[in-house]
Amino acid sequence: MKTIKLVLLFIGISVIGCSDLEENPQGVLAPETFFSSIADLQTAVNGAYGHMTHEDFWGRKFSLTIMLRGDMVDIGDPTTAARRIEHNNFNVLADNGMIDGFWTRVYQIIGAANQAIAGAELVDADQDVKNEVIAQAYFARAFTYFHLVRLFGDLPYLDAPVTDIVAAGSINRTPAEEVYANIIADLEFAETWLPNTQPARSLPSKAAAQGYLALVHLTRGDYQLAYNKAKEVIDNEGTYELALDPDFQNLFNSATIDASQEPLFSLDFEAFRNGDDGQDYAPALTGIRSDEQYGIGGGWSVAVPALSVFEDWDDDDYRKAVSFDATGVFDGNVEPFTVFRDFNSRAVNRPHIAKYTRGTGTTANNNGRASQHNYSMMRYAEVLLIAAEALNEISGGNAEAFQYVNRIRERARNGNGAAVPADVSGLSQDEFRDLVMEERRLELAFEFKRWYDIVRRRMGNEVFSASGFEGEKVNFDPNQDYLLPMPADELARNPNLTQNPGY
Amino acid sequence: MYERRITKWLKKPLFGFLFLMASFGFAQDVTVTGTVTDENKIPIPGANVVIVNTTNGTQTDFDGKYTINAASGETLRFSYIGYAAQTVTLTGQTVINVTLVEDASQLDEVVVVGYGSRKKSDITGAVSSVKSEELNAFPVLDAAQALQGRAAGVVVQSNNGGEPGAPINIRVRGNTSINASSNPLIVVDGFVGAVFPQPNDIESIEVLKDASATAIYGSQGANGVVLVTTKKGRSGRLTVEFNTNYSTQSTSNELDLLNADEFATYQQAINPSYEQGPADTDWQDLIYRNGSTVNHQFSFSGGAEKINFYASANYFKQEGVVVNSDFERVTFLTNIDAQVTDKLKLGANLFGSRGNQNGVPTQSTGQTANGGGDDVVSSAFRFTPDLGVLDANGNNTINSVGDDIDNPFAVATEAVNETKTDNYRANLYADYEIIEGLSFKTTFGLSTRNIFDGLYRPSTLITTAGGSTGGRAIVASSQNTNLISENYLTYTKEIGKGDLTLLAGYSYQKNKTEGFSAGAENFTSDSFSFFNLAAGAVQLTPTSSFSERELQSQFGRLNYDYDDKYLFTATVRRDGASNFAANNKYAIFPSGAFGWKISNEEFLKDNEKISNLKLRASYGVTGNQAISAFQSLARFDNVLSIINGQQVGAVVPDQAANPNLKWESSFQTNIGLDLGLFSNRVALSLDYYNIDTKDLLLADAGQPEFLGFLTAASIRNVGEINNKGLEISLNTVNVTNDNFTWTTDLNWSKNRNTVETLIGGLDVFLDASPGYFNIDRTHILREGETAGVFWGFEYRGVYQGGPLPEGTAIFEGAEAGDQLFTDVPDEDGVTDGVITTADQKIIGDPTPDFTIGITNNFTYKNFDLNIFFQGVYGGDVMNLTNVQLFNGDSNATREILNSWTPSNTDTNIPRAALRGKQISSRFVEDGSYLRLKNIALGYTLPSNVVEKLGMDNVRLSLSGQNLLTFTDYSGLDPEVSFFGSGGGNSSSANTTNGFDFGNYPNVRSFTFSLNLRF
Repeated sequence: MKTIKLVLLFIGISVIGCSDLEENPQGVLAPETFFSSIADLQTAVNGAYGHMTHEDFWGRKFSLTIMLRGDMVDIGDPTTAARRIEHNNFNVLADNGMIDGFWTRVYQIIGAANQAIAGAELVDADQDVKNEVIAQAYFARAFTYFHLVRLFGDLPYLDAPVTDIVAAGSINRTPAEEVYANIIADLEFAETWLPNTQPARSLPSKAAAQGYLALVHLTRGDYQLAYNKAKEVIDNEGTYELALDPDFQNLFNSATIDASQEPLFSLDFEAFRNGDDGQDYAPALTGIRSDEQYGIGGGWSVAVPALSVFEDWDDDDYRKAVSFDATGVFDGNVEPFTVFRDFNSRAVNRPHIAKYTRGTGTTANNNGRASQHNYSMMRYAEVLLIAAEALNEISGGNAEAFQYVNRIRERARNGNGAAVPADVSGLSQDEFRDLVMEERRLELAFEFKRWYDIVRRRMGNEVFSASGFEGEKVNFDPNQDYLLPMPADELARNPNLTQNPGY
Repeated sequence: MYERRITKWLKKPLFGFLFLMASFGFAQDVTVTGTVTDENKIPIPGANVVIVNTTNGTQTDFDGKYTINAASGETLRFSYIGYAAQTVTLTGQTVINVTLVEDASQLDEVVVVGYGSRKKSDITGAVSSVKSEELNAFPVLDAAQALQGRAAGVVVQSNNGGEPGAPINIRVRGNTSINASSNPLIVVDGFVGAVFPQPNDIESIEVLKDASATAIYGSQGANGVVLVTTKKGRSGRLTVEFNTNYSTQSTSNELDLLNADEFATYQQAINPSYEQGPADTDWQDLIYRNGSTVNHQFSFSGGAEKINFYASANYFKQEGVVVNSDFERVTFLTNIDAQVTDKLKLGANLFGSRGNQNGVPTQSTGQTANGGGDDVVSSAFRFTPDLGVLDANGNNTINSVGDDIDNPFAVATEAVNETKTDNYRANLYADYEIIEGLSFKTTFGLSTRNIFDGLYRPSTLITTAGGSTGGRAIVASSQNTNLISENYLTYTKEIGKGDLTLLAGYSYQKNKTEGFSAGAENFTSDSFSFFNLAAGAVQLTPTSSFSERELQSQFGRLNYDYDDKYLFTATVRRDGASNFAANNKYAIFPSGAFGWKISNEEFLKDNEKISNLKLRASYGVTGNQAISAFQSLARFDNVLSIINGQQVGAVVPDQAANPNLKWESSFQTNIGLDLGLFSNRVALSLDYYNIDTKDLLLADAGQPEFLGFLTAASIRNVGEINNKGLEISLNTVNVTNDNFTWTTDLNWSKNRNTVETLIGGLDVFLDASPGYFNIDRTHILREGETAGVFWGFEYRGVYQGGPLPEGTAIFEGAEAGDQLFTDVPDEDGVTDGVITTADQKIIGDPTPDFTIGITNNFTYKNFDLNIFFQGVYGGDVMNLTNVQLFNGDSNATREILNSWTPSNTDTNIPRAALRGKQISSRFVEDGSYLRLKNIALGYTLPSNVVEKLGMDNVRLSLSGQNLLTFTDYSGLDPEVSFFGSGGGNSSSANTTNGFDFGNYPNVRSFTFSLNLRF
């Protein structure tokens, strides 16, 4: 009997093992139970910002793509990845790895924004208070779709979290016109609910919403609407705490940018990195190989302007010195760009972009990947230029428009007494239009804006001709290359999506 | 062979004497007594002693002694499972001592199967057995390594060449999955999901291969099951054993690289302004050294009437052949079995080990974050030979060409990576015989596995952790707990001519893993190593994690043997698992098998040549618990987000709920034939199998990415993969006589893996290149092809200038001396004369045609010689090392001296130039090899000498491992396993085969062993 009892004891132990097999996850978050407070909404909005600083988006793939497609930045290191060179040379195929890489992340930003907006339904709080928070998500969604619609035209458009994968996964492309209408509606919601100022420029304010509305209208050629919004920002520059930073260099110095009043909306890198989250590759991509001057281990000489961009730029323009490094330091000696390649076979003998290497901050290392940069998505100078450009289209030769440009030029002279760049006066509508585009090219040089200007003004045939900075781009086809190809694998996944012409 | 042994024993004086005595016997009942022992003079308790053609018989007691009454002229038959039976005809003896010898045919051997054991001759499935001698033929750290080449259909490979402590991959009959693990289930003494004991403690390993054998493990059985049985004590005398061995090791191969002068000349051809550095360094020489292995094993075992035990302690230490890499481990094992009453048996298995690994970074995933410079082996190839370890300022040198990387010697000697692993396992069982034939067994066990990993990169490694990084430390730890309770009834009954065995049981298992990691940078001093994270000025994001799985199951098996001719087996298991999705909580896995012992049929029974002929056929379904915990739930995930310079909480949608996810199912057919000839001196087994694995969990590459989930591709049960193959085992006794024996064991297997269905029929492109290559695609999953065939450009030699040869093209801007590739036509059949990504195609298949293992054992008097060859035939290798070395931005092998120049046009090597790293057929090589894995010469001291020493047995042996490798492969070693950024995780281990980059080198070793038994 004693042994029977022993056996029963063992059976008793095994009874512990009966389970309902339900999972009780710990350490992971379920959407149904997550949203309970205003703070949770902000946490969801922050997800959208978080994705924006990933390598796939502003860390490298997206920003590098639009940088290389423009006429200001050429390939440096010839052995760099083919997927990059293809954008520079306009022989992009529909399976291009850059597009593949950022497409997913861009839509993840949108997914995060949609989730935050929907989450507001689950939070029991005053609608106005909720609106103030989710207005950021509306802004983030509009900001992101605005990038996409300019690159791809018609888009798969989602404005709510996906629960039915099959239904959502088979949608058609929404026409660009309709996407723009939604972008404008989102920005108008953001404009209504966002505060005049925010604790930091990495949170969108009312000014950011209005600035982007102005740019959207400008892009669409709605010059009156563009001017109205830009003007509204300018008229309220005191309320919005906006101003041109006195020193152009401050905009590209991580030590001074936090205090600057110039950015309307920026992406904040701060050396907190988690894999490719928050990893800033711009200093590496644009820096000089083996250069010692900033103590970050040099760069990779991947994205390097054509020499003519440098040569064409007036030396007296202070912005040139801020934008370029024409010398490097090797083995402790300052060396001119003409011998860069002597110190690293993958370098290239041209001046390199300095905007992202000169002030990477105290934590920067690994070629600057842990930089503390804030990337200005829009800064006040651009608002002035939008106002100038739009007003010139409404009424040519307008002194008010000249005056906006002159504010910028004054700073570009940097109080050095030089006459360059000179104040503008007495130009015709056509002359001033060209001048504003040139001013944008220089003021916003290497700031990821140029490609969009080329596209909206259809300047490709001119800037990619033999007289362009990078010489003739034989592959450039205006019937094809103003839009990127829809990713081939995405078309295969959803046969209802169509390809852009030429691809 | 058995008869010859008899003759041998007849020659023994004692036997002769007994024989003599017999002639004086009378035909009347006498009492015969004696002892039955094995060859080592250890008594065999429970051996059967029966009078032939009667029902009279007895069993030996626990001292091996027996007493029986028999008449002169009658014949006694002595038998015990696993030993050849002996018969002795009574001619008047009263004392008959018998020594039973192990049965060479092994047909009566007992084979462990899930939840029980069967006589080998009654097995209906496909089961391979590996014995202790094979596992201990040469010292290995992990018993899994010792399985290599030993069993047909079982492929074993280190995840990282000869690295001490590298994970060992076992594949039974190919990869049955794409994303889920294809590792077999390891069961040690009945404990499901255990880690391997160390080899000296293992009695035998059985590999269950077909569904009939594995379906009893249901949702854990699809990849095969490895059953490990550890040594048990035997009643009778106490045995004390001491085994020790010492190996000295060296790299088996080095690459023939350029020296400083040659390198400078080569670089100057690319970049005329290149200035030669001040040194001439052979980096391979610097990072390699002579390694060693020390292995001491101490054990004692024995038993009294009602209890027996086995206890051992083992110390293993390996100094790797790359400087600064080593592994040290202590293991304890204790097994106790007690016969408490006639009906109740209790037992316990206790196991504990502590391993301590000091790693050097090799086989880098090549994250762009450090340009691949965290890999000392590939860096030793790449790094410029014209620099020394330190520059003029006393800093570690940085590569002067290509990506900035720290020199390999600095990385090897200054980077710290220490991993401590503790494994503990305790398992208790009770076995109670309720009525005759019906017994109940219950087991209850707990295992824990704790891993602590510390990593430090000092600030002196300039590109890795120098400058403002100021050193980087990371610590990580994980705790895994596995609780298991199993209860089952076994019933055996003879029904007429048939034997029935029934099994029914219930099992519960709970597995929990908790993890944690933290890190910091910017230390005031490198002397903290990873032991003072608080001293880092920059704290890295800490992580913690939790996952838990429960599994509860019912299982049953029926065995019916009719007339020792027809064998039937049927099994079923029903698994419920917490990680299965809401709509599919339970799964059922059935199997059935039939065996026909043709040699027991009348028409073959008396055949002199055919001693055994058996046909086996089975079909069944097994599963793979591919779904990880919480995988079917809708989830958010955290993401790093920065506002106003501060890190803020941020969540993003990770995935939508998927309540329909289910396990992966393998439908396996097995047809086998066992043939024994000439008293089983020739034993042949053939097995053909076909495994269709369905419902493979694939990341739905067909799910549009615009849905915006962080896990862009959600998991669905859509894929199908097929494995079919043939396995041959041949064991022959070639010569056997008094002084000399020669046996040969050969196993040969072929597996063909085919991807049958992918989501939407779409190709899945994969990348196994180091991150800094910036290549997107190196291999592909395509319906109808083997998983992971190579993808790239087809190299057509060097472009000699002028018009392009038909069907070829060059990269835009390429000139004479550059690479020429096949111009792949688009879907309209149009070629464009320029090489773009559209010109990539399948350029190689890493799947071997067959693998082979051949062992020859010779014994001559007290000497024994073991020669073990292992080989792989067919199967391509993608030499990523050469992709780097022929790229212009690194050192190169001497082959580069034959580069194309206008005056040296008859060459396959393009002109010296900087070019992007491309995957092309230029770097695809044949990976066939045949390797002398082990050759061992042993000497056993004569017994009279041993006795004088007061010992039982003394054996010395000298052996060499990996002494010879026959291969055409140009890299270090054709046994490659680079997994790219996947780093050997489940999906990369399934799909990434045949890539070579920065493997820890395979080692060649000489070993001296001493075995003492008291």
